[in-house]
Formats: sequence, structure tokens, C-alpha cells
Amino acid sequence: MIYFALAKGRLAEESAGLLARCGVDTAVLYEETRKLVLTSADGRYGFLLVKPSDVPVYVEAGVADLGIVGKDTLIEENRDLYEMLDLGFGECRMCIAGYPNRRDVLTNAHLRVATKYVNTAKRLYAERGEDAEIIALHGSIELAPVTGLADVIFDVVQTGSTLKANGLVVLEEVFTGITARLVANKVSLKLNRELLPLIERIKECIQ
Amino acid sequence: MAYQRLPAGVQDVLPRECRLLNNITARLRGRLERCGFEPIQPAALEYYDGYADIAHALPQESMFKMTDTDGRLVVLRPDMTLSIARIAATKLPALPVRLSYVADKWSLQPATSAAASREICQAGVECLGEEGAFSDAQAIALAVECLKETGLNDFILDIGHVGYLKGMLEDCGLGEEDAERVADYINAKDALNAERILTRAGAGSEARNGVLALPMLFGGAEVLDRALALTKNPQALAAVAQLKEVNRLLVQMGYESYICYDLGAVKKFSYYSGIVFTGLVREMGAPVLSGGRYDDLADDFGRHIPAVGFAMGLKRILVALERQGLITEEEPPLVLVAAEGAEGAAYRRLLEMVRGGTRVRLSPLRGEEGRRQEELNGCRVLYITEEEA
Repeated sequence: MIYFALAKGRLAEESAGLLARCGVDTAVLYEETRKLVLTSADGRYGFLLVKPSDVPVYVEAGVADLGIVGKDTLIEENRDLYEMLDLGFGECRMCIAGYPNRRDVLTNAHLRVATKYVNTAKRLYAERGEDAEIIALHGSIELAPVTGLADVIFDVVQTGSTLKANGLVVLEEVFTGITARLVANKVSLKLNRELLPLIERIKECIQ
Repeated sequence: MAYQRLPAGVQDVLPRECRLLNNITARLRGRLERCGFEPIQPAALEYYDGYADIAHALPQESMFKMTDTDGRLVVLRPDMTLSIARIAATKLPALPVRLSYVADKWSLQPATSAAASREICQAGVECLGEEGAFSDAQAIALAVECLKETGLNDFILDIGHVGYLKGMLEDCGLGEEDAERVADYINAKDALNAERILTRAGAGSEARNGVLALPMLFGGAEVLDRALALTKNPQALAAVAQLKEVNRLLVQMGYESYICYDLGAVKKFSYYSGIVFTGLVREMGAPVLSGGRYDDLADDFGRHIPAVGFAMGLKRILVALERQGLITEEEPPLVLVAAEGAEGAAYRRLLEMVRGGTRVRLSPLRGEEGRRQEELNGCRVLYITEEEA
């Protein structure tokens, strides 16, 4: 039995599709249900559908053997787990974005950065030796510079259309090649004998 | 009941769990005593300087600190092996010596982290003043026996060697910082990011491919042969030779079914210098045992003492036992209730039964009413009358 933690949201569909191509019975993922733990008809696979940022938590704790989650989340969560494969889909960049000309305000010495990647932003500005005030938000990050809540945002950018519609531009690409990753629990990889063969199949599938 | 908050990451161990924990430690203590280990109990408070200014310093943000009355910084013991290496280097002239302990260590992890245990009860051993493959093999064999002694029956020891990755990285010509980052990536089996740094640093293709093969270099003893084929670096080859010899000895000693190998495993902030090993249980996402050889650690305290040791996380072992369905709770003690006037007789009966090894307590209640009360509490009651005594 293999338990997966799958990120709901933008990666969900492609994750399920990939697993199906690798011979995992994923029919249960498409059923209308309120159950939280889904088990495939053949009883070989269990699925936990969770918020993206929770995928590394479930995998690190060993509740899930494998997980599929964006690299952005892995960087942010920085958990103790194995990152096995780059699955290639869901590609985006992690960028600093804002107005093309930063409006200098005398009373505001620190750069104010709005983001949902709080840990990553803190590390980033600390590494650069730059003082920044990190403002934690949970959605519609672009609203922050538009309303004057923050000077810039630090967020994932896929097409950039939301930025454009609000008059914002990418000021700096910090991490590129942010894609979905297959992660594994460190103990499961060694002790669950079904894991490696499946990982090999997924590897062949994405090549 | 009122609620009194505890700081994050610590917990009170209540009687039912504490009894199980005590049983495990008693069995481990007995085992180690019979195997010729001397017990040791290092101080829980130590000066911060002693740990800050050494080559194998722990990150200062991982230590609980306090200020002593003279203004000096004091830390709560952050690591057993460090403490014992210090003691061996400064207080134990007669080496070799094999030491064992059951004690707490404290780790100042952020209170929100998943593995947020900040007070960790460990049982472990340190074999000081010994080296060589047979010493390594004995430590690993003892680790297996200790885990068996706790009652676990389904576990493996995952063995690696610090020298292999070190040697491979040496051949890549990386700077210290890059080497550290590659080691971190290899430890996370993240070949992609490792490759990025290696390519940027201009590592040769053979060295690069060797390092990039590391994440998948785990499994049975056959990985040691695969490892040999990957490199010509003398340090890496010596590491594999050492592992092969340890493997040969472990097979001879009858531990083949308990061991596997992972040459991509490195430990963070590590004082380990040779073989390293981790005890894994399917039911637990994190190791229940961790250890290895640390030949240069005592140098930090002024004396060279080659050594090997390991520690077990007793809480994790208990959780693993429960998840494996291996926990059996003992019956509650028998309760003696004295009839009015039979108090002396009941007390003598109590002493007699305790001497005989029965778990028994004497109720503070008396007479038929006391008997009824104790029975209502669900206790097995023995009613003592004058005649019965």
C-alpha cells in the first residue's frame, strides 16, 4: 500500500493524470465524495488531498509515503524529505514584482514585501543583507502594492497576466524552473518495497 | 480541571506512558550492564563557551541558553555525544571505555516545527578509545540488539559512510560552501539542484556523474559494489572498503537481515567521521536510532579519542511499538482493604506480598464501605479481616 499526499489546486489534475499513466488506479480521485482519505478500488493506493503547503508536512511525518507538490512549496516549507523527481509540469517562476518605478517614501525606510512565502522571503532578504518588512498574506498578493500595503510582492508568476492587468511588472526573477516535484518520506523509501518500482515507472513516464 | 500551559515542544509523561517508558529503559539498562557498559550521567547545565568555540560547534540557535549569576552563558545539554566526549577527554584517563546513558537532551527548535520535541529522552552508548571495522560492526550489532530489547521486531539499520561523499566531492573541486550545499542536496536526494551547482563549478564529468548517482545508491550489500565502480578517489574507496569489511563481519555475526546501505546519507551539523547508521521502522517517518563513528570529536576537548556510538529516541520507539501493536499494559495493582481493627494485619500482609513480588497497595479506606468504594473504582480488591491475616 502506498499513500500519496496530493496538492489540491493548480497541480491536482496533472498529478492525477501522471499517476494514471504510470498504472496507478486513480478513478477514485474523480468521484464525488466528501471522504478525506480515498482508497483505490484495488486497495493498493491511498490518496490524501491536502493544501499544497501541507503536502511536505504529511510526507515528512510519514503519514504519506509520496507526495506531489510544487518546488515553491518545498523551498518555503524546507522539510526533511527526499526530493525524487522533477515532474516538469506546472512550471512557473518565483519573482519580485511591483511598479516599474518604486515610489520613494521618506517615512518608509524598509522595503515592504507582501508574500505568502514568508520563510523564503525572510531568507532571501537576510542573505542579501537587506532590511525588509515581510507582510504575510494568503491570497490576491497583487493587491498589496496596488493598495499601498506593500512596495513589492514576492510570489509565483505563471503567465504574468494578473500582474499586467494591475500595472505591475516583474522586477526580478529569483527562482526559475519552479515545477511539480515528487517527494518521498525518508523511511518509506527504504522500507516500503513498492515505492522504488513506482518511482522508476514515473521516471520513465516523464522522460 | 484547570488548564496550565506548558511551553511548546515539551510534555509531561503521565503514569501509563511513564510505566512503559520505564520498562523499556530498565530492559535497556540491564542489557547494557550485562554487555559491560559503564553507566554515566553528564551534567545537564554546561557553559556555552565550551560548545561555541569548538571545531564541531552546534549552531547556537539550537541551544537553550541561560545566564549564570556571574553573567556567564549556560546551556541546557544540547547533545549527549558532545558531553560524553568532553568527559572522556578531560576526566577518564583509562581508555578504552564503553559508556551507556539514559538521559534528556534539549534542542531549541522553533516551536512550530513538525518534529517539535524540544526535550528528548535518549538511551545510548559511546564506545571510546576503539577503532576499526570490528568496533564498527559491534556497535551496529549492539544497536540491533538494543532495538530488539525494546520490543521492536520490524526494523532495519541503514548504514552509510561519511568518507564516501566527502571523497567524491573532493574530486569535484568545489569550494567549501558549494560542497556543503551539494551535500545537503544529496542528503535530500535532490539530484537536480546538486547538478546545477556541480555544472556551475565546472566539475569533471566523471566526478559529477559519481556524485549524481549517490541519491539512488541505497539498498542491500550489492550497492557497495556499485559504489566501488563509481569513483577512483582514495578516500571514497577506503570508505567502501571499510563498509565491505563491516558488512562481512555483520554477516558472520548473523545480522544480515537487519542491515541495508545508503551511501547518499549524510548527517547535518555532524561530528561523524566514518561509518554512520540510522535505525528505521516502517511505522515511523523518522529514525528511531542514530549513530556513527566520531574519531575527531574529542580533539575539540584536547585529547584524541577514536570512538563510535549511537542514541535511541525512546519516545519515538514507544510510538513505533504502539503502532506495531506491541504494547501490552500491565494489570493495575491489587488493592488491600483492611477491615476495621485489621489495619496491622493488612499492613503486614502488604509487606509480605511486596516481598513476594506482587504489585499491591494498601487502601487508605477501611471496612466494608472502603471495600465497596475501591471496587467501584474498578480495582481488584482483597479484603483483609483479623481472621484472614
